[in-house]
Amino acid sequence: MVSFRSRWLPSLVWIVGLLLLWQASSWVLLHVVEASMAQSKIPYIHELIRTFITYGGTLFTEGSATFSNAALGFLLGAILGAVLAVLMSLSKWMEQLTFPYAVASQMIPILGLAPIVYGIMRDEQIARVLIAGYITFFPVALNMLRGLRSVDLSAVELMYSYAAKPWMVYWKLRLPASLPGLFSGLKIAAPLAVTGAILVELMGAQNGIGVIMLRNLYYGPSHNYMFWSTVIVGALLGLLSYLIISLIERMVAPWQPEFRPSGGDK
Amino acid sequence: MTASSTPEIQLDQISMRYQTNSTEVLALQDVTVDIKKGEFVSLLGPSGCGKTTLLRIMADLIQPTNGEIKVAGESARAARLAQKYGIVFQSPVLYDWRRVKQNINLPLEMMGIKKAEREERVDYLLELVGLQDFKNKYPWQLSGGMQQRVAIARALAMEPEILLMDEPFSALDEFTREHLNEELLSIWSKVGSTVVFVTHSIPESIFLSDRVFVLSPHPGRLSAVVDIPLPRPRTPDMRHSPAFYQLISDIRDCFEGV
Repeated sequence: MVSFRSRWLPSLVWIVGLLLLWQASSWVLLHVVEASMAQSKIPYIHELIRTFITYGGTLFTEGSATFSNAALGFLLGAILGAVLAVLMSLSKWMEQLTFPYAVASQMIPILGLAPIVYGIMRDEQIARVLIAGYITFFPVALNMLRGLRSVDLSAVELMYSYAAKPWMVYWKLRLPASLPGLFSGLKIAAPLAVTGAILVELMGAQNGIGVIMLRNLYYGPSHNYMFWSTVIVGALLGLLSYLIISLIERMVAPWQPEFRPSGGDK
Repeated sequence: MTASSTPEIQLDQISMRYQTNSTEVLALQDVTVDIKKGEFVSLLGPSGCGKTTLLRIMADLIQPTNGEIKVAGESARAARLAQKYGIVFQSPVLYDWRRVKQNINLPLEMMGIKKAEREERVDYLLELVGLQDFKNKYPWQLSGGMQQRVAIARALAMEPEILLMDEPFSALDEFTREHLNEELLSIWSKVGSTVVFVTHSIPESIFLSDRVFVLSPHPGRLSAVVDIPLPRPRTPDMRHSPAFYQLISDIRDCFEGV
């Protein structure tokens, strides 16, 4: 009971309070201020819930299409990022060769790159996967490289004293030590990969949450609640991707300082 | 434990120079030392005397500028590649992602020993350092003293001929340190490795060693070799014996006028 009160009650009060405030603002905007298109600025929550229930099937199908493409691109980008990090940690030469281009690649606005990729590929699936991967590889490479380099000198010397082969040093020491870095990169990249996939869909695709988002935006105020629903689904997909990565991190690298119980209890 | 007369480690005229900016630092100057097989020796001295540098040269972690080192007749590199060394560093250097038993297991994995034999060996080592009840804990769940005991067990895992210890207990409080000194001797009496122990504590070096190599700074050099004739097994009450105090005083004299 104590843990319920201390852990869940504050956030419950917070969320309920926030929703009430939203609902009240919506009412004020609509009936007191009588703003034009008041509902597209702050829509009623109960209307959104009704839309969610009515069009739940569509939202789920389109959301899944977006998510699966984003996930595939994320996976490929993560693998590329991790391999790049290992290569860069292996040789300064490799880092000097690769790193400036990796940085430069992130200077290109995705908004501009997405239509180019789509124009070349002429396939919305591939374009979504590519953009999601493109967004993913950089934070993963950067954070994992830092993880690979975070190893203490004496930890390496210990390996050296065992006459360890270089690949053994990676397998037994550098790679496990890089896991916290890898996961912080993955956690940054996962929601971005979803956003990237949605962005490609806005360029003109057949399915995906971005497609119905755009369509309902064009249809105007009458489709306002559906538009809001797609935005919320987009946010939920990002949140879901983050939670999945966090869960995997808990299972793969539970030994990290941030997972230790506080209070210094032995 | 009687030391045989075969020299296990021979250092001949070892010198070590560092280049820092424009000045050249002489970390070690012409150190010549013979360490017998099965002997427990300490390298004692204040900061900057080069005792850790000397240990690192023995471990083949760094190369001396001049001089020659022989370990059982071979080079230090050959001895390292033959996995003859167990090293205990100043900090435990345990791998965070490995539980206690897995940390001890690490060198055994590196040697490619079969799983059943590894488990048996790890159990024996856990018992040796008295940590059976903690084998499934992560390093951060242990106290500093316990972590260092894990490090010792790990160093002993591959049954090294030579145990190199670089101020392993210097970060611990006096009580824990004395307790671990006694434990270390009891472990050593069972495994019989040659031990080179770096410390800046005079009583610690006397309590543990057969011989104490006293090093002086600026430049780092060997200024005296003190035999410790206290009988073995060493017991805690020896720390209060007149002979012990005499030895402390003798070694202090070595540092006078330096």
